Amino acid sequence: MKNLLLWFLFALCFNILSLNAQERFTLSGTVSEEKSNETLIGVNIIFPEISAGTTTNEYGFYSITLPKGTYKLIVSYLGFSTISETITLTQDITKNLSLLDALESLDEIVITEDIEKLNIKTPQMSVSKLTSSTIKDIPVVLGESDIIKAITLLPGVTSAGEGASGFNVRGGAADQNLILLDEATIYNSSHLFGFFSVFNPDAIKDIKLYKGGIPARYGGRVSSVLDIYQKEGNSKEFHMNGGIGLVSSRLLAEGPIKQGKGSFLFGGRSSYAHLFLPIFDINNIAYFYDLNTKLSYRINDRNNIYLSGYFGRDVFRIEDSFENTYGNSVLNFRWNHLFSDKLFSNLSFIYSDYYYELRLDFVEFDWISGIQNFNLKYDFKHYISDKIKLQYGINSMYYKFNPGEINPTVPSSGINPFKLIDKYAFENAIYLDAEHKISDKLALSYGLRLSSFHRLGQDELNVYENDQAILFNEDFQIYEKAEPIAKTSFKRSAVIESFYNLEPRASLAYQVSPNSSVKMSYNRMSQYLHLLSNTNSPTPLDIWTPSGKYVKPQLLDQFAIGYFKNFNNNTYALELESFYKTVKNRIDYIDGADLIANNAIEQIILNGRARAYGLEVLLRKNEGKLKGWLAYTLSKSEQQTRGRTPTELGINNGNWYNTPYDKTHDISITGSYQWNKKWKINTNFLFQTGQPATFPNGQYEFNGLNIPNYSNRNADRLPSYNRLDVSLNYTPKPNKTKGWQSYWVFGIYNIYNRKNAASINFGQNTDTNTNEATRLAIFGIVPSISYNFKL
Amino acid sequence: MKPIFKIYLICLLLISCEDVIEVDLNTAEPRLVIEASLNWIKGTDGNLQFIRLSLTAPYFDDTIPPATGATITVTDLNSNTFNFIENENTGIYSNESFIPELNGVYNLAINYNNEIYTATETLIPVVPIEFVEQKNDGGFTGDDIEIKAYYTDPLGIDNYYLFEFLVIDSNNLDLEVYDDEFTDGNQIFAFYSSDDIEPGDELLIRNSGVSERGYEFFNILLQQTDEDSGGPFESQPATVRGNCVNQTNPSNYPLGYFRVSETDIFTYVVQ
Repeated sequence: MKNLLLWFLFALCFNILSLNAQERFTLSGTVSEEKSNETLIGVNIIFPEISAGTTTNEYGFYSITLPKGTYKLIVSYLGFSTISETITLTQDITKNLSLLDALESLDEIVITEDIEKLNIKTPQMSVSKLTSSTIKDIPVVLGESDIIKAITLLPGVTSAGEGASGFNVRGGAADQNLILLDEATIYNSSHLFGFFSVFNPDAIKDIKLYKGGIPARYGGRVSSVLDIYQKEGNSKEFHMNGGIGLVSSRLLAEGPIKQGKGSFLFGGRSSYAHLFLPIFDINNIAYFYDLNTKLSYRINDRNNIYLSGYFGRDVFRIEDSFENTYGNSVLNFRWNHLFSDKLFSNLSFIYSDYYYELRLDFVEFDWISGIQNFNLKYDFKHYISDKIKLQYGINSMYYKFNPGEINPTVPSSGINPFKLIDKYAFENAIYLDAEHKISDKLALSYGLRLSSFHRLGQDELNVYENDQAILFNEDFQIYEKAEPIAKTSFKRSAVIESFYNLEPRASLAYQVSPNSSVKMSYNRMSQYLHLLSNTNSPTPLDIWTPSGKYVKPQLLDQFAIGYFKNFNNNTYALELESFYKTVKNRIDYIDGADLIANNAIEQIILNGRARAYGLEVLLRKNEGKLKGWLAYTLSKSEQQTRGRTPTELGINNGNWYNTPYDKTHDISITGSYQWNKKWKINTNFLFQTGQPATFPNGQYEFNGLNIPNYSNRNADRLPSYNRLDVSLNYTPKPNKTKGWQSYWVFGIYNIYNRKNAASINFGQNTDTNTNEATRLAIFGIVPSISYNFKL
Repeated sequence: MKPIFKIYLICLLLISCEDVIEVDLNTAEPRLVIEASLNWIKGTDGNLQFIRLSLTAPYFDDTIPPATGATITVTDLNSNTFNFIENENTGIYSNESFIPELNGVYNLAINYNNEIYTATETLIPVVPIEFVEQKNDGGFTGDDIEIKAYYTDPLGIDNYYLFEFLVIDSNNLDLEVYDDEFTDGNQIFAFYSSDDIEPGDELLIRNSGVSERGYEFFNILLQQTDEDSGGPFESQPATVRGNCVNQTNPSNYPLGYFRVSETDIFTYVVQ
């Protein structure tokens, strides 16, 4: 290992030194879309003769330094016409490029060389990219296109089920996904308890999901990173687009400010009130809305500023008895500055919060909880040469957690006001990432992140004898809470507990043939926040809690290896990946743990561990009238919580057991066929092994009740999940490119009306007094229609 | 706090469907189930008490087999021994000379199939139910009948309550447990709601004092028998371990609970 490191350093120095061997010049600039001036992320800038290249970053910027000379330059991006030209580098050049949407020139699909090859060359693996237009083509329930639903069609990603929030990546829990919207953390990604995600697809520019080989610039969650960027808005012309669907309607406006020096984007989406409750002639309400805003301003060639915001709420009211409001808010200011044509920087100030309020009038109290987060980031991208690119930066985050506050809603309420103790924390990180092209065939990327987490002073921290907050009762063989022996209060500036972790990341790509490569990666990551949830699927009420004296940070090690091949002139792409990962300090809950309004969470949790491994296959067809992919995942996801001493039972007798997201087989097929300019048909099919569940292995009577006696946790499974969805896109006037343009989407979800079990409940039929198993199926066949327009 | 999950589930139910399906289940070896609930009803001498022993059965069986032929004794700290005698082969054992004493400690010993099962519990006092309020337009649909049974929690000590709501005609029983974490010292109510009860129905409300351990036991037990158990918003079900231990063969642990309570009864006719 040490030798390897030295070798890396040597290679790095050699490469830097070799810069001076020849006269070199830098080509840099931004790439944007011709019509709107919207910058484009991940555009390939390729010099085929010398097989060199780069891609644009999250702000559309690129930079490459090459020896003096004349080169052929190809600029290509999926869905856009390719630019091909010759460039003579005799000095540093700033060249801003703009690409034309290929939809404008659908019939003249330009087949270009060397485009996807670059992909197989970069060491980054385990990453999935989806464009907004792909997502809009996927048939979805009730016609609401949805980012989270779309990514669950990719290999290694499953949803927790219909009507469940979140998603699971490579056998990880939903709280192990870092979800970033314009670099700000989103704490709850779903509306209406998981039916829809909080991201308005109209306002989204680019989505990337990292499942493994995660670069050092990301940290804080152990399973995946979902990195979403909002559009900046059209800086050339004013435009609007929108849609009217069965559940919600959307409207988005964008346009220039100050003669194209800047742009604005304002998007709103709202579901219709009373949607789920139309049958009752009473004042019940269930709706959600969200607002996306972004202002961009180009100060000069070297400075850009952005202000973006997101605000979303779900509101849910039942006459006089119940009101529930929750959602995320994000405000983000960013400053892009070019120190030179090789050094790009971005400074971000981010505020984000999650708010949850529940008013239960029938039991006369009100409950508020939430999390607030301030984030300062300074990131640099340093394009040293065509062989080496460095990314480095720092990041500081301050958190305030409100685990809950109870207030009586009427003066006569029998509830005493009560506040769970607020918690505070400070998370810091510093990182360096290098992308290093060693030879034409071998490319490396390696980095290191040093993260630290400091739990700050709070009131009334419980102190336990021998620091044991949870005791094992050997007589009854159960875990019981320990009584605190004291409570300590700290100054806010005090540090109660600190954690430091070194997180190495490395990946390698070796090109075995012009069209195929082998990649390997390793990453270690740490997670300091935990979502407390012991229900089968996460709920909006679940509370985030920081690591501290009794809750240790989760630590992940993941290895992945993959084979990547493009064939048939890059029409098809095959990705094979295998992964193995382990997570230390995964929280597990004692039987019947009550997480709600619990001021001493440490009394009901144990630290366990988790592991997952699997094989993923993705076969894509990228071009032609028929496009789509086939994804298959074979995997296993388990967890184990052993007793702390030999006499303790642990959870599930200390044995490994299936996590709720262990789905052995997961198959999805997604395809779209462009029949002609007016009609397009989209379809997807899913098959998944049933979710692990716990079923009874007996019954008994006690205190007048019939009681199912349950077996070991997750020892059984729900029936397998499968369904087929179809949708048709109809564009009445496909040749219209100005003024009012529109298209319809007609969809049928779950076309063969399979009753997929979301859960199986065991209970007694009150009429016959016999035991029965009841299946809950959320969506049967659901037809939908939506109308979408732009002008 | 659980109503929130029920309401989430109701919303799911509006667009979803429920049906009864066949499921193949494994069956574990039978275990002894101890239902030793000794209630000293306020205003009575509390001498007559019952203990019921039964066995676990395959989940879809219609009958629960009794555990017969056991010898059961309850002893107190005043060296009194109360023998519980089986009423023929019913698995129901009774004693007519039990002496209840508030905060008295009682020991249970059962010999069944040559294995000795024991438990210890304290007789927990309880405050009376003071009055009952009724609301006829409650619930999600606005036509459930809601019953609130008020009591005053003693200030400054931890109290745990087991409420039983029994509709006498239909024999429908609903159990609720409460602690006083957020209600210490206040007048507060136990909450019952049903769309099955009608004006004229007689409702028997029983409030029993339970220990903290008893509260934890019933709390978990009720989560699993709840009609929503196994639903997406419920915590993972598990075997519920009570306070009885098999001294002879600890791995063959019994189910059930040994509870000794003071109990207040309030009979209410639905308006």
